[in-house]
Amino acid sequence: MNAIDPFEPTEQADPLQPGSEEFMEELHVDAEQRTRSQELTTREHHLATSGNALLRADELVAGYIPGVNILNGCDFYVDDGEMVGIIGPNGAGKSTLLKALFGLVRVGSGTVILKNEDITNLRADRLVRQGLGFVPQTNNVFPSLTIEENLQMGAYLAPKQFKDRFDYVTGIFPRLGERRKQRASALSGGERQMLAMGRALMMEPSVLLLDEPSAGLSPALQDEVFVRVRDINKAGVTVIMVEQNARRCLQIVDRGYVLDQGRNAYTGTGRDLAHDPKVISLYLGTLGAERDEGTKG
Amino acid sequence: MNHTVTRIERRRWPALLLLLGVLTACFGLLAAPGNAAKEDLTGEISGVMRDAQGQPIAGVSFQVTNASGFTGSDISNRQGEWVVPIPGPGQYVVSLDPATLPAGVTLTNPERTSLTVSLLSNSKTVAFPTGAADTTRESFLDRFLQLAVDGLVFGLVIALAGVGLSMIFGTTGLTNFAHGEIVTLGALATFVFNNFIGLPFPLAVALAVVVCGLFGALNDWGLWKPLRKKGVSLIAMLVVSIGLGILLRYIYLFFFGGDTEQYASYSGQPGLALGPVDITPKVIIGSVVAILALVLTMMWLGLTRNGKASRAVSDNPALASASGINVERVINQVWIIGAALAGLSGALYSMSVGVNWLEGFQLLLLVFAGVVLGGLGTALGAIVGSLVVGVLLQISTLFLPTEMKTVGALLIMIIILLIRPQGLLGRRERVG
Ligand SMILES: Nc1ncnc2c1ncn2[C@@H]1O[C@H](COP(=O)(O)OP(=O)(O)OP(=O)(O)O)[C@@H](O)[C@H]1O
Ligand SMILES: [Mg+2]
Repeated sequence: MNAIDPFEPTEQADPLQPGSEEFMEELHVDAEQRTRSQELTTREHHLATSGNALLRADELVAGYIPGVNILNGCDFYVDDGEMVGIIGPNGAGKSTLLKALFGLVRVGSGTVILKNEDITNLRADRLVRQGLGFVPQTNNVFPSLTIEENLQMGAYLAPKQFKDRFDYVTGIFPRLGERRKQRASALSGGERQMLAMGRALMMEPSVLLLDEPSAGLSPALQDEVFVRVRDINKAGVTVIMVEQNARRCLQIVDRGYVLDQGRNAYTGTGRDLAHDPKVISLYLGTLGAERDEGTKG
Repeated sequence: MNHTVTRIERRRWPALLLLLGVLTACFGLLAAPGNAAKEDLTGEISGVMRDAQGQPIAGVSFQVTNASGFTGSDISNRQGEWVVPIPGPGQYVVSLDPATLPAGVTLTNPERTSLTVSLLSNSKTVAFPTGAADTTRESFLDRFLQLAVDGLVFGLVIALAGVGLSMIFGTTGLTNFAHGEIVTLGALATFVFNNFIGLPFPLAVALAVVVCGLFGALNDWGLWKPLRKKGVSLIAMLVVSIGLGILLRYIYLFFFGGDTEQYASYSGQPGLALGPVDITPKVIIGSVVAILALVLTMMWLGLTRNGKASRAVSDNPALASASGINVERVINQVWIIGAALAGLSGALYSMSVGVNWLEGFQLLLLVFAGVVLGGLGTALGAIVGSLVVGVLLQISTLFLPTEMKTVGALLIMIIILLIRPQGLLGRRERVG
């Protein structure tokens, strides 16, 4: 082989260098094949285990703009009292799935069923009445309202319960109680996240949908949030949680979904997924997995 | 449980409107001038003759004629009142005999001894102002105070319309160019109730406010809600509102005509001199009603469950819905309140400027100015901004020709916005 001309690296470049076209292509083909084979085994299994689900979605197709589907036949369920995590690359449709479950994105086809009742495309405020709570990923507080007013809006449908629930929420997040008269726009990112969760807890939901509750928090606070969510789940609330922090998420959830391109590519218990080589290489990152292995061994 | 909550909310609405109505009933304290109709002539043209000091002038002779040969006359009594019964609506010439004026009293415009008036209704008040137009004699400070008070009164009218515009913009994003037509509707409805049906003025205003509130609800329910549901863009909706405004204006023109008419009640009310400031009792009471309505609106927004919900919807409709708020119902309530306030604005505005098919449209620019100046989307900002615009507008006549006053106020508004782009009470967008 000739000496490598540093100014003409095209031919000689490592074809599997991350970012190179070849690499992306290979990854894509690989993912598609794996997804397809995995789907055959998991979808049946998935359906078989979802018999007495509290909330379930079948073959959801949904999107923001007519004709552009973000979810392409997504299956999902959660049992009563279960804690389920959803992970996947950016833009996979995780947030869209939560919004579709919650009536904030129009579902084109497929069904969402809560306690054996069809709630597909029901207005979000109706779902709140039925015991669903939702913490969106972004814009999850009312910035021009005070913290107290934000929590009052959380208890909009049950104003009489406000005092009790306010005490409960400020018990979990004492900072909210201290700053109750301040506008939410004055809060830091982490405090906002607490307020967002507090608002959703005001109605005593039986199912809580959390979209990246730990996003933007310091590592210590992230742990704090995971512990809080675990506690809330232990108190009997069914939790569906989307997380970027996939490893941590899979550690604490009962079951996990890996979403890719608008469908669930893998499902399984958190432990299984965290140790599945395909999930590791595709979504958790090879390097990270090796490093983990290294520290363990 | 949920059902009772819903029912209580629904009941609160008429209650609030009723409260506005009760407030306008304060007008009842003003005694209506008692002019009994004479013979079987169904209408009347009347007036009160006063000198520059506001004292009644007796013994002035008036004559009313029309093209079809009708002639009637009267002489002002000790209260300065004169009434000429007429056959009904139509065009009349009212003339005053200057020879019967007492010594030392002249008309402000000595040439203007006869006036042509057209009546759509059965009655009309005609005024012949007396005394020199002696504005130059007043001190600068007196003039300033008078203009400041006039400006505040006008600012209240702008604010009533502006709060609704701002609330609707906040909750739906719609820039409603047809808002001025709701203002006009308030004036027209008051005119119909007062002049045609003959209801006492406070009741006429209260009913007009209710009519406008219903009109607002219908507007939202029949037009804007379907457009929102279809996801029509805000710019497209703005264009629709311009079209709706034009349509409504021409409907008003068709049914009401192009003339400016006066309410049957209080149109010739003499002013009270409070120190250097001249102000009529009707304007004082109207302003008190306006302030009460604005305070009630602020209390609704700040203290009630649905008021807070409307602010939540302004911040983030999807999150409001995810909190259990029925967003469409809250928006409908905002429309009712906003339109009722606009109606009150028109009803009060026309007490001083008369009822005209274009009045709301002409006011709209100033309403927008007030809302923008105060900071788009904040109700308190809309009130403060409107008061500032009203005062600036009047004060600017000290330095500018009266015809230029709108230009002056808008110039000052632009300068303030250059210094404070977010408006007087608006907040800068939080960064990050
Ligand atoms: N409001 C919207 N309007 C139009 N398209 C949207 C909207 N929100 C998301 N999308 C599109 O939908 C796709 C999926 O977005 P989604 O927010 O569901 O991803 P995600 O899995 O939550 O990603 P992330 O991990 O970055 O939060 C993206 O390609 C995005 O461009
Ligand atoms: Mg997301």
